[in-house]
Amino acid sequence: MKRDPDTIKLKLIYPKWKKLPGQTTFNLPPHGPVVYAATLPEYVEVSFTDENVEELNFDEPCDLVAISMMLSTQVKRGWAIADEYRRRGKQVMFGGISTMLHAEETLLHADCVTLGEAEGRQEQIFDDWRKGQLKKVYNFMGKQPPIELVGPARRDLYKRELYNHKGVQMVDLFHASRGCRFSCYPCAVSYLGGRCFRPRPIEKAIEELETIDNNRLFIVDNSLAQDTQWEMDLFREMIPLKKKWISHTIEDKPEVLDLAAQAGAWYVYQAVYDTSDYIKERVKRYHDYGIGVEGTILLGLDNQTEDDILRLIDFLLKIDLDLAEFTVLAPFPHTKAYDDLMRQGRIFDHDWDHYNAGQVVYQPKHMSPERLQELYEYAWKSFYHDETQEEKMFKLFTNVVLREMEDGTYRPRDRKLANKTFGKTVDRTASKTNLF
Amino acid sequence: MKVDDKYFDEIFDFAGQWDMPSKCGLKIIKKEDVTVIITTELYQDNPGTSITYAGGSLIRQICDAKGLDPLHIIYVECNPNTNSKLSFYDEELFRVDFRLEDGTPTDLKYTQLSQDEIKNLL
Repeated sequence: MKRDPDTIKLKLIYPKWKKLPGQTTFNLPPHGPVVYAATLPEYVEVSFTDENVEELNFDEPCDLVAISMMLSTQVKRGWAIADEYRRRGKQVMFGGISTMLHAEETLLHADCVTLGEAEGRQEQIFDDWRKGQLKKVYNFMGKQPPIELVGPARRDLYKRELYNHKGVQMVDLFHASRGCRFSCYPCAVSYLGGRCFRPRPIEKAIEELETIDNNRLFIVDNSLAQDTQWEMDLFREMIPLKKKWISHTIEDKPEVLDLAAQAGAWYVYQAVYDTSDYIKERVKRYHDYGIGVEGTILLGLDNQTEDDILRLIDFLLKIDLDLAEFTVLAPFPHTKAYDDLMRQGRIFDHDWDHYNAGQVVYQPKHMSPERLQELYEYAWKSFYHDETQEEKMFKLFTNVVLREMEDGTYRPRDRKLANKTFGKTVDRTASKTNLF
Repeated sequence: MKVDDKYFDEIFDFAGQWDMPSKCGLKIIKKEDVTVIITTELYQDNPGTSITYAGGSLIRQICDAKGLDPLHIIYVECNPNTNSKLSFYDEELFRVDFRLEDGTPTDLKYTQLSQDEIKNLL
């Protein structure tokens, strides 16, 4: 077939990273690359590779390479990929969250770095590339495009069978807003997306949700609890879609929780930061509305002694959490945690591969780094001692299946993929429980 | 998160990382032989880069704007009290020492100030 000379063949890559040892790995279809792909001009033909689920073929023909990175633990791999393509004479562009956090270093491996949000900017960049005038930096930081321009993401680029575990399709990621008005200690979102909460128009969000060929979603917004009226309107409009979804915190008001449950809230990530009755009651209130809770527990903050951490772990076992995820503080650039620890000279490890929130890279205030590492591992083992992570997940999974059967949205497993996990043949001897 | 304004008299606009429009609280105290500059982090009211991340660039921008010689200043960063339940947002002041490289402060070293040292500075 003859190629249209106006078409630009873009190789879009999401670099792999090393998963944390001992934890169940589910590869979700990445969100950033397909949101970016939706902003590209029509003449750009995209071939997408998520290195977490398939090998990257450097020999695949392309005109230009774009690398999208979300995590700090991806950047070194992203740079290595770029170095190889540039050695082969291809130009490489970078974008995404961790590109913005590590922009100065990324520039050393890039022909072009784009900072800020992509919507409405790509014609200019590809025009410059055609003219051989690609700029080293396209800086859109602090200049957010109108939120109406966002979406729908190019989910057609996913190779769906690669995001499937033994016939069960993974959740799709979706976002309903950008920016955040909170300044949480370990978080860089207000730097990345601005300190103003920017909700998408409800009709645009619903329009995108309707296009997603998946009944199960993860709404990835940092916090939907930033504008009560908008949040309630969104949930109300979601009810007829009968989707089932995971999200971060939902506002703690009966009328909001009730609407969320009706809209299909499956389970939420709820930060558990102390052993108060408030947390215990908060978890109970979610459960009262049929919403599951995965506690997210950040270890190693300056206000935690060893005893505090041990007490917190005991507390988690008593508050009926459905799941728990433990992390150690990682001082990502552009967070207050980074500023504080850097000022005090307490960051001793600057290898971004280690910024996976499972490895201690700084000197904790009340214990040695080694002791914090032990407590982190102890937390995982203690919480999942009587019931494994896979068993607890299976219970949550059963809940959603039952709800889907009730409202007629249940889709049976894809039997053709029953012996595959993320594109690889299942090793049936690897897991004792083998629930999924 | 309401920032305590006891260490600033004005809001200073500066170019943050990647020229992000950024803001901080600013207090300048002129003494006989030295000028004390105190910058205050504004958190939610700072749309751009933190004062710590902006570091030497912010010091240079303040000196340029106010006609001060960076060799004759004492520079102090303030993390203001925000009345948060979390101790990370308690008041802390740091004296920042540096050397000049091509006119820009670099190699910044932070020393936390005690209440007595803060009183003496003011």
